[in-house]
Amino acid sequence: MTSTSRPLPAAAGIGLRAPHVRDVLAARPAVAWFEVHSENYFADGGPALATLDRVRADYPLSLHGVGLSLGSTDPLDRAHLAKLKRLIARVEPGLVSEHLCWSGVAGRHYNDLLPLPYTEEALDHVCARVARVQDTLGCELAVENVSSYVAFADATIPEWEFVAMLARRTGCRLLLDVNNVYVNATNHGFDADAYVAALPADAVHEYHLAGFEETSAGLVDTHGAPVAPDVWRLYARTVAALGPRPTLIEWDTDLPAFAVLQGEAAKAQAFLEAGDAVAA
Amino acid sequence: MPSLRDAQLGFAAALAGDATAQATLFGADARVTARLAIYRGNGRANYRNALAATFPVVLRLVGAPFFHAAVDAFVAAQPSIAGDLNLYGDRFGAFLTTYGPAIALPYLPDIARLEWAIDEANRAADVPHVPDAVLAALAVAPPERLPEARLVLDPSCRLVVSPYPLLRIWRANQADRDGDEPIALDEGGGALLVRRDPPGVVLVPLAAGDAAWLAALANGDALGVAIDAALAADVAFDLGATLRSHIAEGTIVAIAA
Repeated sequence: MTSTSRPLPAAAGIGLRAPHVRDVLAARPAVAWFEVHSENYFADGGPALATLDRVRADYPLSLHGVGLSLGSTDPLDRAHLAKLKRLIARVEPGLVSEHLCWSGVAGRHYNDLLPLPYTEEALDHVCARVARVQDTLGCELAVENVSSYVAFADATIPEWEFVAMLARRTGCRLLLDVNNVYVNATNHGFDADAYVAALPADAVHEYHLAGFEETSAGLVDTHGAPVAPDVWRLYARTVAALGPRPTLIEWDTDLPAFAVLQGEAAKAQAFLEAGDAVAA
Repeated sequence: MPSLRDAQLGFAAALAGDATAQATLFGADARVTARLAIYRGNGRANYRNALAATFPVVLRLVGAPFFHAAVDAFVAAQPSIAGDLNLYGDRFGAFLTTYGPAIALPYLPDIARLEWAIDEANRAADVPHVPDAVLAALAVAPPERLPEARLVLDPSCRLVVSPYPLLRIWRANQADRDGDEPIALDEGGGALLVRRDPPGVVLVPLAAGDAAWLAALANGDALGVAIDAALAADVAFDLGATLRSHIAEGTIVAIAA
């Protein structure tokens, strides 16, 4: 990142959401780092941006985009990228991430993280877009694997190989969402550990953890529940396989009290330290 | 194998219920229909939550079932065109004027426009407020040139005009109020100035002349044109007092050369 950015420590951080900002600024809780959704701070000015400056003064910060539509075949939104670049210059984040997905086509946005068909054409397309985004922003991007509920019948590349090749070809970083790996492994019937093992460890710069909901149609990545026991176990094996990394607790729907997020972060921290102990 | 473009267009069609597009992309797997419904549900929830955050008073006035139905209809009629969900909602007020179930609530679109103006004000650029410098610039300007002067409003300023008592409706439906205060819809409306006043946003009721004057300035008109507009709206318009108060309060932040 930039010269004065504070790198994210290989410790547990928390996704900071608007209802918690005031309390965090007042109490300055012991949290290793925070992550925010980039778009929520695309404003030209105003109180939200001012509070982010104050958070950034005290904590390492990660910017996590949810709306760039990296994999879309529509043109990249130059205005959106310009706002992201302006925000990066302002807060000098330790990491900038986006999703391996598309969000709209033919001018219509779904404002959702829609899956790509894992094909050579899609890989070429996403690689070119990631390269252009990195050039425009002047920094490396971390790209996150998304949860998905459908798989394209004509896909030719397993998701984990697609993700690994994206990192190798573009030099981009990876943000490995462990919950999304678990959700997809369950929904699509693959081996979550094989997915993790296929990734280049050096490229992985962050982990995400969140809760899912079990429905009759499959697992739904709601970010509205505690991290599931199976996901904690997969996380422990991931830390053992790839190494400790900054790990984020994400919670977006039915947001609980901040203390609940701190409890989840403490659990992640314990797994990270246990992983360190194993490595040592 | 469809191209990536066709796969994305096909996904969009399948989300809209096109069974052929669904079968082409995802095969005959019986679970796909239920799985696509997950995407539809996520999408609905995203828009409902985003607009509920931007339009809390509209939500409170009509209740969640009505609000959710209105948002779903809005999304169908005027889909999002930007990846930044915070930009979606600028046309919600206009949509409500055409939304059948809201016809009996004629003030509702104006409340939505007010809430959008507040949202925009909260996202506007920060500019320095130095009232003494603005007054000093006015004092040294040659009097014969003043009609051509252009007064610059703070970027957060928005004017919302309504025949309904928006300010009372808005205040009565804040989170700390019970919302049960009786308000007569015919008790009078007018113009509200929405302006950021750190840490928050203020809503300032304006007299008719003041409103016409600020509307002209916001439109980029010269001071002379704005004064004519103000006097047309109110022959008793007091330029000196209006100018001083708007400079002191930070509505007017500069004089353009």
